[in-house]
Amino acid sequence: MTATLIDVPTLDFAGNLIGFPSAHRFALVRVAPDNEVLFRLTCLDIEGLEFVAAAPYPFFPGYAPEIDDATAERLELQDADDAMLLVLLTVGPDLASTTANLFAPIVVNVHTRRAAQVTLVNGGHPLKAPLTAHLDPPHRAARQAS
Amino acid sequence: MLVLSRRVGESIMIGADVVVTVLEVRPDLVRIGIKAPRDVEVHREEVFIEVQQANRSAASPSKKDVEALAAGLREEKNTKPDDAGGGAG
Repeated sequence: MTATLIDVPTLDFAGNLIGFPSAHRFALVRVAPDNEVLFRLTCLDIEGLEFVAAAPYPFFPGYAPEIDDATAERLELQDADDAMLLVLLTVGPDLASTTANLFAPIVVNVHTRRAAQVTLVNGGHPLKAPLTAHLDPPHRAARQAS
Repeated sequence: MLVLSRRVGESIMIGADVVVTVLEVRPDLVRIGIKAPRDVEVHREEVFIEVQQANRSAASPSKKDVEALAAGLREEKNTKPDDAGGGAG
């Protein structure tokens, strides 16, 4: 058997993306082949609906929200390694104006690809966090050093 | 709007499988328990509205902006010192 020719993972929302009641399934693909942190989430239920999501860790190293029991149960998460986090980006015309939604991340069960957008009501996480806020300091330091 | 009176411990059924139970009543606060199937989203209304607006503004960015974002991040990565090996850890 050969490998599947086109292997595009599909996220299957237990419910829907908040505010899009008929958006249940999204194809998850990299924005560019060499980009491991930016993804395009293309809705398979609503034509033309698309989001850009990011793996939060490179941008927000300290971001490790606790997943509530109800979500863990809905997504059948046994332990933390079962879960992958994605944050939706509001893409502006430049890097500085692009924000990430840390308040309502998407939690994915990496084994089943069941997903849910959770709201972290007690975490103090912003709805619009500048994407590159944390990238800048090392960037600047590197410039000064060279 | 349908209005029902309930005592602590009493419930309301919404459809066949959503159960809303009054758990505690204080002068300025009511605690409510909700039992719903996995595909039913339950949110505080103000939180729902806020996230709905954020999702709408995030929806379907222009192709040009997405390409610029990817290119901008590539540039950041290339000018960064070579410390990317550790990954997400």
